[in-house]
Amino acid sequence: MPLIASALAGAAIMTPVLVVMWRSFTSGKLGFTVGLNLTNYLRVFGDKDILPMLSNSVVYAAGSALLGTVLGAFLAWIVARTNTPGKALVELLPLYPILMPPIMKNIAWILLLAPRSGILNGMLQHFFGIETLVFNAFTMAGMVWVFGLACVPLGYLFLLPVFLSFDPSLEESAYIAGSKPVNTMFKITFPLAIPAFTSALVLNFLRGLRSFETPVLQGTPGNIKVFVSRVYDSMALEFNTGLATAYSVVLVVLSVITLYFYIRATRFSERYATITGKGYRVKVIDIGPWKYLTFLAVFLYFLAGIVLPFIVLIVVSMIPYFDYDTFMQFPSNAVLTNYYTVMRHPSFVTGLYNSLILSVTIAIVTVLAGIVMAFTIYRTRAAGAKVFEFIGTLPLAFPPLVLSVGLLIIFIGTPLYNSLWALGIGLFVAYLPYAFRNASGSIVNIHKELDEAAWVHGARWRHVFFKITLPILKPSVGGALFYIFIEAIRNVDVAVLLTAPGKEYGPVTLFEYFRVGQWAEAAAGGVIYLIILIVAVSVAKFAFKMKFSL
Amino acid sequence: MAILKVEGLSKFYKDVKALDNVSFEFDQGILSFLGPSGCGKTTLLRSIAGLEVPDTGSISIADKIQTSIERGILVPPYSRAIGFVFQSYALWPHMTVFGNVAFGLKLRKKSEEEIKRKVMSTLDLVGLQGRELRYPSQLSGGQQQRVALARSLALEPRLILLDEPLSNLDAKLREEMRVELKKLIKKVGISALYVTHDQDEAFTISDAVVVMDGGKILQYGTPDEIYNRPLHPFVAAFVGHAALVDGRVVRIEGDNCLVNVPDFNGADLISLAPKVVAAGDTCKVVIRTTEVKLSHDGFPKGTDNVLEGLMTSREYRGGLTDHRVQIGSKELVVTSHKLCPMIRVNGDGGKTFVSIDRSSISVIVTH
Repeated sequence: MPLIASALAGAAIMTPVLVVMWRSFTSGKLGFTVGLNLTNYLRVFGDKDILPMLSNSVVYAAGSALLGTVLGAFLAWIVARTNTPGKALVELLPLYPILMPPIMKNIAWILLLAPRSGILNGMLQHFFGIETLVFNAFTMAGMVWVFGLACVPLGYLFLLPVFLSFDPSLEESAYIAGSKPVNTMFKITFPLAIPAFTSALVLNFLRGLRSFETPVLQGTPGNIKVFVSRVYDSMALEFNTGLATAYSVVLVVLSVITLYFYIRATRFSERYATITGKGYRVKVIDIGPWKYLTFLAVFLYFLAGIVLPFIVLIVVSMIPYFDYDTFMQFPSNAVLTNYYTVMRHPSFVTGLYNSLILSVTIAIVTVLAGIVMAFTIYRTRAAGAKVFEFIGTLPLAFPPLVLSVGLLIIFIGTPLYNSLWALGIGLFVAYLPYAFRNASGSIVNIHKELDEAAWVHGARWRHVFFKITLPILKPSVGGALFYIFIEAIRNVDVAVLLTAPGKEYGPVTLFEYFRVGQWAEAAAGGVIYLIILIVAVSVAKFAFKMKFSL
Repeated sequence: MAILKVEGLSKFYKDVKALDNVSFEFDQGILSFLGPSGCGKTTLLRSIAGLEVPDTGSISIADKIQTSIERGILVPPYSRAIGFVFQSYALWPHMTVFGNVAFGLKLRKKSEEEIKRKVMSTLDLVGLQGRELRYPSQLSGGQQQRVALARSLALEPRLILLDEPLSNLDAKLREEMRVELKKLIKKVGISALYVTHDQDEAFTISDAVVVMDGGKILQYGTPDEIYNRPLHPFVAAFVGHAALVDGRVVRIEGDNCLVNVPDFNGADLISLAPKVVAAGDTCKVVIRTTEVKLSHDGFPKGTDNVLEGLMTSREYRGGLTDHRVQIGSKELVVTSHKLCPMIRVNGDGGKTFVSIDRSSISVIVTH
């Protein structure tokens, strides 16, 4: 039984993956196939833009990863090791990515940084008379800035435990040897944090390669093409599945290479075992007058990285329409018309409803499927169960957009096409790896004798699963359910190709609003999602006692 | 009727032989599997429980075949009706003591009233009355152990398997628990298989002992047989305080035999003869060093096996003392109790006479 369930889940993952591979070697439009050939690849590699595109993809991903990870590591060090005043502001950082959907970040920053209509350029002109358009969201720098900020929490979360659980005797022995605190920082503390830093950096790079919103909303208008936006264009504008899948395969190859380095980096950091499990608290270092500088850094990050986008979104959602002058008149012109408009707009209301229903359903289904798969691999003697270990991890190498390309090709001509099922399956495939990896991590940690004790005292697999495994997994199941719900409810990159009239998905509707210039409506819709997320976090925190910091 | 019959059991992990053609029968009482880690004793126990699938062989419990690779029979663990106490106890952390003990009874669809009665009487039996609403993490190690035992006993199995059940307890508690465990098993009247690497534990708790090494059974006998008549040099070395030296049988004299030991300056030792022996056989001579006598002045004529040696050092261990005596090329470590009248030596060293009674020597023929 568990084997059958796992096989079904495995098939759901493998089909789009194989379809993308196979389709990339055939020519012809949607659904029709004209023989096996290399036409698509010839076009991909014959494209004179291929090299700029490759370099754009790498520069964008590497730039954001570097900016975000360095900033995150710096903040983690400030919080863990210095006496900087006001560092409590940073301790809320893990909450921020949960509350702010990626698409809302992009919208907020475009409103701030757009060259002509943007708020910041307007202010420069208004207050300082600077006519040149200093800021431009639609450049590589703009993209790196916005996605780089999105990379900060991960860098912070990876490095904070390193700085917190650092064995103090490593530093103390440097002091005894005559090294001063600052020297010790640079010679001992930072070098020992390199493995965790590398892991975070590579993971952020991978996220950059896969990211959808920034390349499409900022890159495309500025004519900066990366692979993800090219896949989207080939699929959404040209309807050329062959070309879309060929670009996808190139992207997948890049992802696989990155994933390989990520696995290497994490293994390296495991070997670099300087951090022991002992629960000592490291000493906070008095950095003297430098603490005002670090305070400034913390304050600026808090303001620019977190508060500003929120304020912009809320203000823009409450003004009649968006331009600089209307924006500056706030709050005298505050209205709620944008909210009325979106709440009367069928595509938003249906989308909101669908995203709520689907993300709850998908969270439950994927978490259960992930546990069943992990259970099959680690807890049954089913032949070939190890295959699922590979299959369950595979989608990590496939950017979500690519998975939905594969699914779309499969669905065309079936009753699933343009149905909510299509959306559901897409989200399931995209989030199953997270559920699976979470479950296998926890299941491996449950002592095997707990299962065996049930076996010898008369339990069948279903008793073991429902009475032993599932109850023991309860705490981590709660976390996984919440995480997948939060991720699914604001998903754009899986849903964008799989929505259809009448089968909208909320975040995709916002994405479309924004693309057609209904910026104020997009902001209003975004604030509605913000409220939903705040409610979800509060429920998780107070009703289920979930923790959001370390 | 044998409660347990194992025939031709083998199991390989890649190149390592965990079990090598193991066969034995067991009727009733408590049987220990004794051996160093990696000797295959736990694999054997887990195969009997059905938690491991052997590569060849068969297992019957109460004359019903449970595992037979040749005939393709493999009764799953949940249908074997046995008890199993795990090394880690494996108490389910999300269930109370009551929940843990009631688990198997619930699966057997007993009435609520019967479950309650059975759980309570079993907890009474193991001395845990009043603790039924605690969670495992709120209990001490010894109490957790009792819960693990109660969980198996509540199902009234005919055979209970225990995998190093006392190894997680501290030394003092371990000694108390093994006496109590034995009493309890005898009181309930079921048969038990007991895996351990501690020979004291095996000897105190069991009616019979199986000594294993390298996946093979080396000897199967009562504790007394294992200690006094080891059939294999490894058994002799593993179970007792014994010195092993190489020898050659010179001749047989009735119940006794004479063995030449080159290491002891070529001395001939007299010992009880093993069952099958011939002059000229090479052998291992096992000397139980707690039974050796020492004297500075020599022994009366007619004393068995008097050897002359040099005491090099003594190690004081409280009630016991180790004496290191160099005899020929071999150092003998003789342990004595402080009240032992057989050790009449003082001072730190010098010429020392050693006497070994023939009953303190076992001869194991190696050909």
